Amino acid sequence: MTQFEELQQAIIDGKAPVSKALTEKMLKEGIRPGEFFPKAIIPAMDEVGRRMRECEFFIPEVLIAARAARASSDILRPLLVGDEAISSAGTVVCGTVKGDLHDIGKNIVAMMLESAGFKIVDLGVDVSAEKVVDAVRQNQANLVAMSALLTTTMVNMKSVVEALSAAGLRDKVKIMVGGAPVTDAWAHSIGADGYGKDAPAAVELARQLSVA
Amino acid sequence: MSNQQTFRIVLRPVQTELTAPAGSALRDLLFAQGVEFPCGGQGRCRGCRVHVLEGQASVNEAQRERLSAEEIAQGWRLACQCALEDDLVIELRQWDAAILVDETPFAFEPRPGLGVAVDLGTTTLVAQLLDLRTGHVLAVRTALNSQARFGADVMSRVQFAVPKDGAQQLCHLIRQQIGSLIEQLVFAAQVPEGEITDVVVVGNTVMHHLFCGLDVEPLSRYPFESKQLGLQTFRAGDLGWKLSGRAQVRFLPCLGGFVGSDILAGILATRLREREGLNGLVDLGTNGEIVIGNRQRLLCASTAAGPAFEGARISMGMRASTGAMSEVTVDDHSIHCRVLGNVAPQGLCGSGLVDAVAAGLELGLIQPSGRFTGGAGAWELAAPVVLTQSDIRELQLAKGAIAAGIRILLDRFGASAGDLKKLYLAGAFGNYINRASAQRIGLISFPAEKVEAAGNTALLGAKLALFCPEGEDGSFAHLRQQTEHVALNADQDFQDTFVEEMAFPNMRARAWELDAGETPEPNTQSLEPRI
Repeated sequence: MTQFEELQQAIIDGKAPVSKALTEKMLKEGIRPGEFFPKAIIPAMDEVGRRMRECEFFIPEVLIAARAARASSDILRPLLVGDEAISSAGTVVCGTVKGDLHDIGKNIVAMMLESAGFKIVDLGVDVSAEKVVDAVRQNQANLVAMSALLTTTMVNMKSVVEALSAAGLRDKVKIMVGGAPVTDAWAHSIGADGYGKDAPAAVELARQLSVA
Repeated sequence: MSNQQTFRIVLRPVQTELTAPAGSALRDLLFAQGVEFPCGGQGRCRGCRVHVLEGQASVNEAQRERLSAEEIAQGWRLACQCALEDDLVIELRQWDAAILVDETPFAFEPRPGLGVAVDLGTTTLVAQLLDLRTGHVLAVRTALNSQARFGADVMSRVQFAVPKDGAQQLCHLIRQQIGSLIEQLVFAAQVPEGEITDVVVVGNTVMHHLFCGLDVEPLSRYPFESKQLGLQTFRAGDLGWKLSGRAQVRFLPCLGGFVGSDILAGILATRLREREGLNGLVDLGTNGEIVIGNRQRLLCASTAAGPAFEGARISMGMRASTGAMSEVTVDDHSIHCRVLGNVAPQGLCGSGLVDAVAAGLELGLIQPSGRFTGGAGAWELAAPVVLTQSDIRELQLAKGAIAAGIRILLDRFGASAGDLKKLYLAGAFGNYINRASAQRIGLISFPAEKVEAAGNTALLGAKLALFCPEGEDGSFAHLRQQTEHVALNADQDFQDTFVEEMAFPNMRARAWELDAGETPEPNTQSLEPRI
């Protein structure tokens, strides 16, 4: 097993201390920080996504795997220089909509997007449309990801789309939505660009939208 | 086709026959027959699916999204999406609900007159007529909540109520339905209606607000707090009820968030605040409510457990009625299933689901992570009933939410599961669930003998309240002051605890097992809540 494969396995198994130690050791041995993402972190989290989709992994396993990925990427990000520092995948502003506090799903999506190489601006829970607009401006984000778990708060996704249009930012960002009551039809009806059924689907969607 | 054209519908297995004009919504016709619409008839779930045996019923986009091509070809339809266009023979997927009525004896001080106690549930209604002189129950009536066609759970009810005149419509419906239940009670018991002096209604916060005509908008969004939780008093005449004269109607106060007067009534019924040691009350439903406390202080919380305990969102889930597999036991490495009504199994109800997963864990077919051993996709319990991987996941979410809620409330007392003297399970599900199985899946983390099925504590509490004719300044207000509502969704530990509690316990790891039932008597001095 190569060191990259070892690191992948540690992430999939959710062993944060191992992934941290391995990352440090590999850096000492002269591996460039930028190599870790395509060779270990991104493929590991893709595998986690596959297992989640096939019901092999559930929320706890996905969360601990994402934590293990973060243990590695937290060491690496400050070391990225030049071209490597500029996130090739894109910048995502994410949060749960106004009135909604359920953030387990949003956190999983954010961690998986991060491991897929996106820069994440996580606004947390109960996020107003104005906050999203400000964050898109400040971070020059190209993606907005909003989540809602309640049918009563889902309507606030529409306010986010409208606020981005009103601020003249609508053609600068793609908007994706998700959460238990959300459907593809709903996403279209509010003028969002896509709907992610689950976290792996959200990562796939984000990849498609950021090249479109 | 003329506008006057009518069609005939035959319902099986009940063999009811209906006639209705062309174009009538099947939703309205079937709701009147007791069929439920879990998502409020919006085509978002599969709960109202019916099997069209004869006749034509068109398929629209919403149905194609929820039903497989094979199901559609076999004649399965979502009743909420169909309009009447032909004579039909339909087989219903749902059966009559079993509604729990309270028959617990209780202590009381006799009063003159008659009283009515009403447990206004999101799904079901129970009303009892009592002779306040003797405490005897003279008549009982149960019904499905007539608001249910606008959404099965409280959130979809709130969603319907907030825009336009939805709240008014729901308010009118429920007042009318309870009024007619009371008329039926009076008729059944052959008593003069003028002797009814008191009506006590209990229900969760949403039911309270909708009945009383209060604004539910604050309950639709974070922080889910209404300022109008107090006792509401009406004259029967104000509600349009045909009770002559002086009958006073009281909707008991709510405790906070979604924790309503059904739980306040539960505290009265289980006498939690009169007890020296630490005790708990849990109502297992779509919204799980939890109370933990002692004489000094009570903490309560609600947690969104999802509908798994009621058999919803389970691939072969159904209510606890004829054909439901309600018990699964392990005997010498094989399983035995019990089916309600002693017929061929048709589905799995909540208690059967908990049993099945406990059996799977016991047999090593299910891992503590919830995954089927060896990656199997499903386990056939007894043909045609199977337990799927995603069913286990749904149960993990439900039990994780309840177990995390209990743990967080116990934490605030600086206590652990071992310090709890007794846990009362309220409601129908609490009555049917196998306590050993509940412990095996980690829904409750203490020995089965500490858990007691307490029945319909909401109704019993409402009956007790009939004998305390006081208002807001009386004991209810005091009980409310004593009971602190903990907003779990704002608790910083909730998410981590919830995720931890999703896994099934590895039985060897349980602390209480180490001291083999010798749980030390809790020191009540140390059980003051930490703030």
